[in-house]
Amino acid sequence: MKTAFTAAQLAEPEIAAADGILRTCVHYGFCTAVCPTYVLTRDENEAPRGRIDLIRAMLERGGRPDAKTVGHIDSCLSCNACMTTCAVDVDYLHLADIARAYIEENYRRPLSDQFVRRLVSRTVTDPARFARMTALARLARPVRALLPGRLRTLVDLAPAGLPPRRDFAGVHPAEGARRMRVALLQGCVQQALAPEINAATVRLLTRHGIEVVVPPEAGCCGAFTLHMGKADMARAAAARNVDAWHAELDVGGLDAVIVNASGCGTVVKDYARLLAEDPARREKAAAVAAIARDVTELLAPDDLKLPETAVPLTVAYHDACSLQHAQKIRGRPRALLRAAGFAVRDVPEGHFCCGSAGAYNMLQPEMAEALGRRKATHIESTGAAAAAAGNLGCLAQLGRFTGLPMLHTVELLDWATGGPRPDALRDVALPEPVARKQTVAPTGAPGAPPPAPPPDAPSDASSGGSTGAAIW
Amino acid sequence: MSMDAFLNDAAGGLGAEHVNTADETLVRYGENTMPGGDRRPAAVLYPGSTEEVAALVRLANLHRVALFPTSTGNNMGLGTRSAPAAGMAVLDLGRRMNRILEIDEKMGFAAVEPGVSFQMLADELKRRGGQWMNSTTSGPPQGGMIGNALDKGAGYGPYFDHFGFSCGMEVVLGTGDVIRTGDGSIEADNLVNWHVSKYSFGPILDGLFAQSNYGIVTRLGVWLLPRPPAIRSFHFAFPDDSDLEEIVELCRPMKMSNFVPTLFRVANDLYLIGSEVPSPAYAASGGRKSISDDARKALQREHGLGAWTVSGAFYGPSMEAMEPQVQRVVGHFCASGKATYIPHEEAMEKPALACAVASFSGEPTNTELGLLKWRPGGGNAWFTPGTPMDGRTANEFQKLGRAIYEANGLDYQVMNVAGPRFARGLHVISFNREDPDECARADAAYRALADAFYARGVAVGRAPVDWQDFHMDKLMPSFRDACAAIKRALDPNGVIAPGRYGIY
Repeated sequence: MKTAFTAAQLAEPEIAAADGILRTCVHYGFCTAVCPTYVLTRDENEAPRGRIDLIRAMLERGGRPDAKTVGHIDSCLSCNACMTTCAVDVDYLHLADIARAYIEENYRRPLSDQFVRRLVSRTVTDPARFARMTALARLARPVRALLPGRLRTLVDLAPAGLPPRRDFAGVHPAEGARRMRVALLQGCVQQALAPEINAATVRLLTRHGIEVVVPPEAGCCGAFTLHMGKADMARAAAARNVDAWHAELDVGGLDAVIVNASGCGTVVKDYARLLAEDPARREKAAAVAAIARDVTELLAPDDLKLPETAVPLTVAYHDACSLQHAQKIRGRPRALLRAAGFAVRDVPEGHFCCGSAGAYNMLQPEMAEALGRRKATHIESTGAAAAAAGNLGCLAQLGRFTGLPMLHTVELLDWATGGPRPDALRDVALPEPVARKQTVAPTGAPGAPPPAPPPDAPSDASSGGSTGAAIW
Repeated sequence: MSMDAFLNDAAGGLGAEHVNTADETLVRYGENTMPGGDRRPAAVLYPGSTEEVAALVRLANLHRVALFPTSTGNNMGLGTRSAPAAGMAVLDLGRRMNRILEIDEKMGFAAVEPGVSFQMLADELKRRGGQWMNSTTSGPPQGGMIGNALDKGAGYGPYFDHFGFSCGMEVVLGTGDVIRTGDGSIEADNLVNWHVSKYSFGPILDGLFAQSNYGIVTRLGVWLLPRPPAIRSFHFAFPDDSDLEEIVELCRPMKMSNFVPTLFRVANDLYLIGSEVPSPAYAASGGRKSISDDARKALQREHGLGAWTVSGAFYGPSMEAMEPQVQRVVGHFCASGKATYIPHEEAMEKPALACAVASFSGEPTNTELGLLKWRPGGGNAWFTPGTPMDGRTANEFQKLGRAIYEANGLDYQVMNVAGPRFARGLHVISFNREDPDECARADAAYRALADAFYARGVAVGRAPVDWQDFHMDKLMPSFRDACAAIKRALDPNGVIAPGRYGIY
């Protein structure tokens, strides 16, 4: 795509970066077929290709963005399915970040919009405030009908209650010989909403010889605010985390910074770019980003300490967008779950977002609900007894639309390797435990075939997969 | 002719929300990757059923407007979803007619609407337990199955021939009449043979709707292959361009006996490498020169691929059980000492070869779309002649094609997809569509290639929208007259895609 920025505009780093991205788009339009908002609306401006054009026009024109452009950028989920399918690797993720920051700086939203966005950005990122607002929402529920629409949505989305607060700050020693030492991002809303995920993560990692350190100074990763265009708040959060983790890196050494919420992981892995203009932290941020890993990247299937028997629960694995499209992690979580003994089912239309998307379901509730219901239907169609995902946002969103137990991948892995049965499975009738199969040892001979994949091998293995049509 | 009146009536029948005349939509529906420019339509309509398609065709007859049906609009390198001419009303069948109407897991077929993509059917078959697989292209996963079959598209497995492995259609003719083909034409409610038998009473009309504009196919039966428990690929890298002659001679007997169940993908260096990286040589010449032989050799070494790399696969009960077949094929291809064997597990580490494995496995993949960024600017056209499976002829065609690419400063990117007697040569013409000079060279190269191949008795398998009239003009007058006569019989007012495939 040709652009028409002036030399003065291109002197601004953000505009120059946007220009470089815009020029790579040639309007093939593969992105449209996988974009949830386009598929549901068939509006060209609700597709990445259309949004890219709108962003180009907005930035070229300069000044105050028009409401139509802002509306179409706001309605983007940032699921990045478009980036997975794009033939020419348009960096839409960062273009959208630049556009949102530009809008935040140059567009005056209606007061109600400003209020809600401010409320969301300050509540979700602070566990204590989140707990207070949850209590307030509970009180407001009886009079929800009297509330303005946007506030009513927030009240509806607020959980009925919160589990007891748990703080994992500190050092959690490895069981047995220490193989690794990692820092764990405790997160913000996850601490309040689902502390069992961090608990399972700590148990799983320490059980496998990994020391886990949670610096008390680290907190929200900045993803929520970044995707709302509040880049300064995001950078402040990132700076705090980089300082905390880099201090650990200097003192005790770190093999990895572990993130168990993939939406956060995507941003942490991008800290080098986020803090590129911060001379005091540029290098530290790059060092931290270089060792950031999703929790499923740390353990290999062969690493798992498994008991003699497995519970062959059928689990639908939902690919969180931030994991599959941004971090390109699809096979490892499945491989781990299979190794742990679960029967893993893929979810139809797996490339599609569930509508969670950070603050999206709070700010764009209609589209979020349509996508959530659609995804829940697909998950239920697999016939699985439970569903797993690597991102709390997806679990919370889908939990609104399906009665199936929703679990984080680490909760299942923790349980399968000796941890407690997850609460979400408390009322589920479990299949009888079965003796674990012996692993087929590879022959090791040059050119020898790899061992046969399990019957429900992941689609990205591409080496077979039928449970055996009789003809074969 | 009144497009406004047509749209007004169409909105009355479909609902205004299913008639789109937004400027940004019309711009996008006219875009394509050809050197000849975009073709902006007058409107985009979203029918939801065969009845609505038929009603729109009748309205088009009434108001004398031209319709252009498209399914998912992913016909990359051949026209995307661009009509043959500007100003038509696009019927986007992908928006609402995207249902998998039936899957028969006993007889092994699916019946689909035009908007059903390779990915959608693959997903559904997987959801049902993965006992069956559909043949997929290595093109866009969101490509439509009906559109691909009707354009004579193909996959790579035993059911590669997407038109040949379809059975039973529902078609809206240019008159607005609806017909069912084959055993579907019986006036009955229990059409048990519609999607399992091709050759019952009466003429086989199905072929009329492949690469034509005589009707709009709204339902198609596609046959499914039982998914084998294991798929094991094999690959051979050959070092020299001229090795194509030996390769073709080696492939032919393996396919003639059907010892190898898949087609052979015989891809040259730049076809495979181009799916992974952009041209490293483009900037130096500003796109005016072909990449040098030395640069190609360097890329081959870097990517562990040959001047030509051959890929195929076996289907069987387990990876181990296929060892004897693999050993036989390794012995066959490596006999002359030129080939380097690349085993399955090693190939899976190379994206371009893993893409081949996915294609043999009925797994849609995006990998090969990387070819679209070999040169910047988004220009892409596919020239698709074929060669008989005779090594010397195939090599002669290679020299011919390579010389024309080089004369026009373009990069020779070819995959021969080889069966027992014939290989379709997928020639990619990658060019910078934002550079008028490169566009002109791409157009000149395409025409020169076509002229040269026609002179040797070879037409194309599929034709990009820019050159469909050009191709039709190469055919004998009586054949062209027959096509036009059929058009007059089935679409007397010429309302369905006039000019598509050069038929008016």
